[in-house]
Amino acid sequence: MREEERNEALWRFGAYIFLMVIVVLVLIPLYWMIVAATIPQSEFFSWPPRLIPGLQWFDNFQALQENVDFLNSIGNSIIIAVAYTALSLVLCSMAGFAFAKYEFRFKEPLFYFILATLVLPIQLLIIPLFLLMVQIGWTNSYLAVILPWAANPLGIFLMRQNMQAIPESLLESARMDGATEFQLYYKIALPTMLPSLAALSIILFLNQWQAFLYPLVILQDPQMYTIPLALAELVGQQRVYFDQIMVATSLAVTPIFVVFLTMQQYFIKGILSGSVKQ
Amino acid sequence: MVLAAIQSRVRSSTAYRQLSDQVRYTRQGISDNVPTIPGLPYAYISPFFILFGVFLLFPTLYTLYLSFFNYVGVSNDILLQIQAGPLTVSIPAIANLEFVGLSHYERLIFRDSLFHTSLFNTSFIFLVQVPLMVGLGLATALVLDSKFIRAKGLFRTLIALPVATGLVAYSTIFLLLFNDQVGLINYALVQLGLSPVAWLGSAWGARITLVIAVTWRWLGYNMIILLAGLQTVPQQLYEAAEIDGASRWQKFRYVTLPQLRPVLLFVVVSSTIGTFQIFSEPYVITGGGPSNATITIVQYIYNQAFLQLNLGYASAVSVILVLIVSAMSIVQIHYGGDQDA
Repeated sequence: MREEERNEALWRFGAYIFLMVIVVLVLIPLYWMIVAATIPQSEFFSWPPRLIPGLQWFDNFQALQENVDFLNSIGNSIIIAVAYTALSLVLCSMAGFAFAKYEFRFKEPLFYFILATLVLPIQLLIIPLFLLMVQIGWTNSYLAVILPWAANPLGIFLMRQNMQAIPESLLESARMDGATEFQLYYKIALPTMLPSLAALSIILFLNQWQAFLYPLVILQDPQMYTIPLALAELVGQQRVYFDQIMVATSLAVTPIFVVFLTMQQYFIKGILSGSVKQ
Repeated sequence: MVLAAIQSRVRSSTAYRQLSDQVRYTRQGISDNVPTIPGLPYAYISPFFILFGVFLLFPTLYTLYLSFFNYVGVSNDILLQIQAGPLTVSIPAIANLEFVGLSHYERLIFRDSLFHTSLFNTSFIFLVQVPLMVGLGLATALVLDSKFIRAKGLFRTLIALPVATGLVAYSTIFLLLFNDQVGLINYALVQLGLSPVAWLGSAWGARITLVIAVTWRWLGYNMIILLAGLQTVPQQLYEAAEIDGASRWQKFRYVTLPQLRPVLLFVVVSSTIGTFQIFSEPYVITGGGPSNATITIVQYIYNQAFLQLNLGYASAVSVILVLIVSAMSIVQIHYGGDQDA
């Protein structure tokens, strides 16, 4: 019995050590980002390297802003990600509502057809979308980035799944009270779907916030660059300013960290309800 | 198939059953839900389908079409003219194309050594990274699922933190960490009495750097999915195994693993699809180098299409990529799926 207890204690100790090691490995890159963003460029080449954050963040930020207009890129990213998320939420929730709560011809085939396209990788679409945008003169525009994935197959799938749980009696009694069909959608369905909408908006927003390949193809004017494009531009410069890059990176990830830490349950709900990687 | 497996798991949970019972009871005695406005459902779905058709369906088919052509240039021709009363709508042709049949595919499969290199690099990342990450993710999820662990929420939050970092953003951090001269990793190696490694300056160093970076980014993501899977394993099964005197390993082998199979399969398939589409990391961290040692398939598509404007050829690469990914997924689902059913 004593032997067993000792084994159990050892096992528990090992489990904690394992978790600690994983946590440290996960945190080192993030810690290093903070260090690198807050020390002057000259200290990058000192040996041994500096291991403690400095106070130079704002100076580094000013140097970054003089080098590339990063604030402008943040603005572009916000406009694109917010507009994309809003548009996609409307499209997916409306269509999802119809698929969950109405009967109509071709309902099943249409839905399974959309589901089948969930597996289509983004790379398959980029070349024709590029040609299309060149032909209609939409390159370097917000719309060209916002529209293509707004009709999101995953979004419609999630919305339909969740809206099926809305009780028919709720819709029926609203009809009795004289609600129009459209009011059923935005006064009954949408408010009851808030947690699902929150989870979906996090997926959509994050996908657009970090989208790289497609914007790289479509947005060639530096004035239109989103955050990932501006970061790639900095990395590709003749002389690599790690202090500026890390300031830019810290600006790119901090808002998402805040969302993650404050709305973690929706974040996790989003991850669990489907995995979309762009 | 994977989705179905997960759905069936969700359906078997008690919360879902209660909810669906509730829905079923309330449905009884109520007339079928016929919309009062005919065609209303179509009004709800048409905005979605218009965008879907123009920006997802059409491009997919067009990529397949384009893979049999050489791209010559932008076209000024009119593809289609629609006369609707006084209104004339003309749809311009998308591009000037020259038909080449299957020659793109023939060149890709038999003669294009750079494509073969990109295939090798991507396969290497896949073969090392997916088992490493799924193994680590499973170990982390198992430990975190143990009853005795305190502060589970805190551990989970910290390990899942990379999920919130953008792909290019985290890649820049790894570019700095693994820098051969000023990187923290080489400093740590020297401090430990080891010799520094040419992480980004050598072929294998660069490949391993990518494996480590991708594992860092997606470990927490997969852990969250596996943890959710573990929490659906019925507690009675463990209790029954304990009564039978099963060891910790036996409980894992004969209870956890079979129960977790659908979720594990989902994680493996989605990670496989993910690694075959990897682009941002090699673009930022290694630039595909040194001397193409880390160029991936998607990077090759990007280079062919947008640096050399071989749009037809790049389309053929895209089609082959989709075929590879689909084949991999089908094989994994076939061998990993419903064997216990």
